[in-house]
Amino acid sequence: MPDLYELARGPLFRLSFLIMALGLLRLFLLSLFGIVQMVRRARDKNNSYGKILLTTASWMLPVHRLHRHIPLISFSSFLFHAGVIVVPLFLLDHIYLWQASIGIAWPGISRSVADVLTLLTLITGTLLLGFRIFSRSIRQNSGFVDYFLLIVLLLIFATGYIASRPYNPIPYQTVMLIHLLSAEVFLVLTPFTKIAHCILFPLIRLTSELAWKFPPDAGRNVTIQVHGEVKSI
Amino acid sequence: MGSAVAAPSVNQETKKKKYPYYIEKPLEEGRVQKFLEIFAAFLRHSNYKPLLEIYSRASTKCSRCANTCQIYQATGDPKDIPCYRSNILLDIYRRHFTIGGWLRGRILGDPGLQEETIDEMLDTFYHCTGCRRCSLECPMGIDHGLMMRLTRNILSEMDIIPKALLVSVREQLEGKTANTSAIPAPAMMDTCEFLEEELEELTGHPIKFPIDQENVEYVFFPAVSDYLLEPDTLMGNAAVLYAAGDQDNWTIGSQYFDGINYGLFYNDAILGRIVEKEIAETRRLKGKKILIGECGHASRSAKAFAPTFNDGEEIPVISIQEYTLNAIEQGKIELDPDAIGETVTYHDPCNIARSGWLVEQPRKILKSFVKNFVEMEPHGKANYCCGGGGGTVSVDEVYDYRMKVSGKIKADQIRATGAEIVVAPCANCKKQLKELVEFYKIPATVVGLHDLILRALRLPPIDKSSEENNEQKSQEEQILEGSGTHA
Repeated sequence: MPDLYELARGPLFRLSFLIMALGLLRLFLLSLFGIVQMVRRARDKNNSYGKILLTTASWMLPVHRLHRHIPLISFSSFLFHAGVIVVPLFLLDHIYLWQASIGIAWPGISRSVADVLTLLTLITGTLLLGFRIFSRSIRQNSGFVDYFLLIVLLLIFATGYIASRPYNPIPYQTVMLIHLLSAEVFLVLTPFTKIAHCILFPLIRLTSELAWKFPPDAGRNVTIQVHGEVKSI
Repeated sequence: MGSAVAAPSVNQETKKKKYPYYIEKPLEEGRVQKFLEIFAAFLRHSNYKPLLEIYSRASTKCSRCANTCQIYQATGDPKDIPCYRSNILLDIYRRHFTIGGWLRGRILGDPGLQEETIDEMLDTFYHCTGCRRCSLECPMGIDHGLMMRLTRNILSEMDIIPKALLVSVREQLEGKTANTSAIPAPAMMDTCEFLEEELEELTGHPIKFPIDQENVEYVFFPAVSDYLLEPDTLMGNAAVLYAAGDQDNWTIGSQYFDGINYGLFYNDAILGRIVEKEIAETRRLKGKKILIGECGHASRSAKAFAPTFNDGEEIPVISIQEYTLNAIEQGKIELDPDAIGETVTYHDPCNIARSGWLVEQPRKILKSFVKNFVEMEPHGKANYCCGGGGGTVSVDEVYDYRMKVSGKIKADQIRATGAEIVVAPCANCKKQLKELVEFYKIPATVVGLHDLILRALRLPPIDKSSEENNEQKSQEEQILEGSGTHA
């Protein structure tokens, strides 16, 4: 058991982090390359980049939009994301670990703030899971992965919270082991699942806008490749 | 004999089940292979690959779009959730065009695209009206309108496309009349002459529809169906141009006069060919600008895609609404604020509001002369589609669907305003809304923006007596001059 714990804490964590980091970097670079290619192939290069970036930024902090459609989901989702981003990066215990492994540290949040955020993440995450299960439109649109990833994330936060309590019924190492392993599963899956939106988000809206600027001969070339000629209609 | 009689009805039953609309050619064998081949051709030649790459990785299926889609709100069918629908195509992309998807398919024994999925697509992708209301609310910024277009594009290359759209486009691009309503140019000119007479009777002014004038500022392309169905809109257009002093500065081209572009709804190649025709006709007449009549998709397809399909000198595209607003703001035309007593509301055509650039302009025009203007809720870029977008309004066999499903919310929205007049500056929207108010027995009249402007337009009175005096004087002068010479 201690061996497994050390393995999970050390090499497994580094490996899974590396897979995540390289995977996300690859995705980001590929998408950037795709964007450059889109602009190059389009004849109309008149794009309002500033406006697109502003819209993207406004969706990153969509405070004025939260009330519009089923506010409970929107607010839950916003707080959930806040917790999921802030706690792993700014919890002091995590920063010590970063310092130990990569030698860099940064200011963190206090334990009480982290506790509040963790609880909020757990509550809002459970609500989102509830919506996935009980709201018709979301259930209809969900598959195994959508439930699985959310449950893994809740498990990470739940075990993290339990492990940081001074008294808890389950042995510390067992809780930490589950905490580490579930976090590592999540890290490894990040570049290969929809969680990739964490890095792709700034590029999606831009890609959508650019996609309306067609290469002028694209349609014609498709017809020629498929039918051998521009066939009559 | 009995079986021979029974066979066609079975066939028809199958056809009816698979297609909500009529198609011209019967189902082909090997559709899966064909679909994938065409998909691959798009990935190679078009800009869709980077888009699909990023969409297939980042779609989180939050279903926020479900709440914005008027189709899903009416049916509750998961296939009508924009994100679910797009994911049908994205799944094919993942399974057949990515290594991860291929591996996953091998491991899980997923056979990939099946004939049934194609049936599902040709049904559900024509449920969508392409209004892009979902694109407003997707936190990720995914544009389901693009996925809808791409799927329809692939299907249309397999000859799966509503016959109504196909036949119109064939006439427009390859027929003798070169327009979607198959109006021969002489018939169009006759209509114009008739409208000129009507206008003269109405206003007393010699308002013209100039044909084939060269070196003018504006070459005019309305939705060609206006010549058949919306004469008041066309008369309003011509009257405004006359009143603003541009009578001799605009023209209609006799070789090509149709603004409609169904390519926007289903095929990139056709979209391009139609825009090129507008550009070519404008060049032939040495016109400076393309002026689009009251039509949502005609305006958008020309404005947004002229820069893509014009390989020569830039030709600006403007909408008749921009022209009219400009004329009002410059004081060139005057509208009677007492002419319209009814309550008026405004329907935003998706293609010029949400996907375009005309939200405030038509409102400014209306508010300048309409006393009782009420907004629909929601309005502007968030307004609901009329329910006949994406070409569906031209497909008669989906009438029931347009009334009971896609147009239902619109009908409720109109009724809630209590307006007596619904203004919709779009040939597609007008047809759908007229059918809707009739179907739901809503006591409102649907008109174009320039129909209303025509009612309120103030033209300076023509002083007939002074004209007669002038004629008399000049005759007298001639006689006097004549007598002088003799003397």
